Amino acid sequence: MTPWVRRQQALADYTLAAMARRRVKNIGLLLIYALVIFVIASATLFSTALRHEAEIVLAEAPELIVQNLVMGRHDMISAEIIEELEAIRGVGGVTGRLWGYFYDRVNGANYTLMVPLDPKMVPPAGQALFGEALPRTRGLGWDTAPLFLSRYPGDLFRLDPAGRLSHESALVSADLILLGEEDFRAFFDLPPAVYTDIAVSIRNSREIDTIVAKAGKLLPNARLVTRDEISRTYQKLFYWREGIMVAMAGASVLAFAIFAAEKASGLSAEETREIGILKAIGWDTRDVIAMKLWEGGLISLGAFLFGTGLAYLHVFAFDAALFASVLKGWSVIYPDFRLTPMIDGVQLTALFFLTVLPYTAATIVPIWRAATADPDQVMR
Amino acid sequence: MTRRSPLVFGLIGAGCALLALEAMHSKLMTPAGAARMARSAELVRRAGLTDLALFTEARFARNPALADLHTAFQDSPLSFEHFPSGTFAPRPAAGFGQGTLRFGTEEDAR
Amino acid sequence: MISLHAVRKLYNEGRPSEVTALGGIDLEIARDALTVFRGPSGSGKTTLLSVISCMARPSSGRVFVDGRNVSGLPESFLTQERRRTFGFVFQRFNLIRGLTVLENVLLPAAPLGRAPRDDAERATARLEALGLGPKAHVLVEQLSGGEAQRTAIARALINDPPVLIADEPTANLDTELAMRFLDIVAGLRAEGRTVVMTSHDPRIWQAALVDRVVALRDGRLDEEQP
Repeated sequence: MTPWVRRQQALADYTLAAMARRRVKNIGLLLIYALVIFVIASATLFSTALRHEAEIVLAEAPELIVQNLVMGRHDMISAEIIEELEAIRGVGGVTGRLWGYFYDRVNGANYTLMVPLDPKMVPPAGQALFGEALPRTRGLGWDTAPLFLSRYPGDLFRLDPAGRLSHESALVSADLILLGEEDFRAFFDLPPAVYTDIAVSIRNSREIDTIVAKAGKLLPNARLVTRDEISRTYQKLFYWREGIMVAMAGASVLAFAIFAAEKASGLSAEETREIGILKAIGWDTRDVIAMKLWEGGLISLGAFLFGTGLAYLHVFAFDAALFASVLKGWSVIYPDFRLTPMIDGVQLTALFFLTVLPYTAATIVPIWRAATADPDQVMR
Repeated sequence: MTRRSPLVFGLIGAGCALLALEAMHSKLMTPAGAARMARSAELVRRAGLTDLALFTEARFARNPALADLHTAFQDSPLSFEHFPSGTFAPRPAAGFGQGTLRFGTEEDAR
Repeated sequence: MISLHAVRKLYNEGRPSEVTALGGIDLEIARDALTVFRGPSGSGKTTLLSVISCMARPSSGRVFVDGRNVSGLPESFLTQERRRTFGFVFQRFNLIRGLTVLENVLLPAAPLGRAPRDDAERATARLEALGLGPKAHVLVEQLSGGEAQRTAIARALINDPPVLIADEPTANLDTELAMRFLDIVAGLRAEGRTVVMTSHDPRIWQAALVDRVVALRDGRLDEEQP
């Protein structure tokens, strides 16, 4: 061991001995600090994983959605428009989408009924594919149990299961009922030749802007939503939710920093005296500062490791049980999904610097004056 | 000086090891996760989905990407949250659904 | 060993509350001698002690330690000089509460980066020599006055300094303990250490052991006594 290492170890030992005198207070401080970091790290980890998932999964969404707007509100779109869109150069395929919502009086949930775009996926008449949450919230115990939907008092609409959508895709499909076009139109009493909106596939993704411009000229009343915009919506949405959490926790970080500075600047007479003694018996200003750096560093590093480590377990092993509702929202139908763990090194580093440095600085700065005071004070 | 530092450094090391293990765990889980996400993406492609099924309560919440331009209560700093999904208040215990498919007494009479 | 030339020390310099603690002192302190500063309180004994021991810098004048001028050194060099040359026993002992006797004794060694085992062995040996062996792992607040002082002495000697500085070492001790302290000092002199202390205790400056008594009054040297 080099003298430098031995010196650092001796200073750390002194710090720990001094902290051990107020064991309960210091451990309490560490725990509260770790809790603050735990909250921020949980929010960050959760939101990052969810954003990542949304980005990957929604990358397969239709390149362009064309909505009809009436008085600024979404309205059914005429099938004639499909042909008009197909005429635009560069457009691959144009398909009318049929989807709508249904409020189930039985359990108070909203379902999304939809006709799949891929014809091979469309179930036969009278049958439907159910999302993961549907059998769960309606208590359909066995796989062949039919689903009865009641649109108005006295009405029953029967759908037999053609299968269930896999549990692992719950994040996009939990509330889905995928059914055939005839069933869909019958269920919603929808006239033929109208669609909810139109999905446009585009052969060359670099032409999206041009095609959007052309479609916009062709359909001045339509709203055009590109895949990028869909993805961006989710990125922003989860950033926003994460932001709420971090802002709240940020306030506690600030409160904590104020508390730490207050604690350190209001150095007790005893602490000031101890620093004086250390200086008098031969400690240098640098030794005192290094010793205090160890104090701040050990507390904040310990809190960071502890808080972040637990946050990972919390988010990925326990499904963010403590505040999932804030981060992802709650619903009667809530997808039962497990996030794929993901650590964003940049974010963790930022968290490290945002938590460890301010605390250490808050402990160090007020010490400076005490540490630079003349050592002969203790003799007076 | 009582040597407390080995214990504390040990704890710090254990914390670092925990983080490293977690980083390794997340790396190990990545292929499986990617495969799962690919299957979800496949469903998105085949069904033509545009949104996550996270907020199923209302139109602007179920499909935020396709919400009307003028819909109120969208996710913005002023609206604070989707209504009613994901508020800071818990979900009401009662008032969601009747529990069974039953009809009112006047319907029974018919 | 240590010489002072026209040393003045002012506190609160330039302010209305300015105090002249030392008003121009010329002094030689011999190696291997036991020197005692005596004088009433406020006479500048303690200030003189801190100037000699590189604890405080003089406002003017020069201080030489082993022929090196230390009065103009920046703080970090002064600290090094102090570490190398002086060990301190303070009037109120200045032990750090909540630490054990051994931990207190090892404090001055902490920033030096020496092998901790050697330091611990030396400290234990010193504590045993001072009769504190069984108390090594006792918290310092549980010590009696005499034990606390011996702990402070052991601490002052951990870095093996050639000069021991003691400020009113017997002020808080009864006669028996004061005599015991002088025995310890005799032992240190036999080890070849220079000892400088302040005292207004006649038991000290009348002791046969003392080589030289320097009397101070109002920050100046009074008449010298043998």
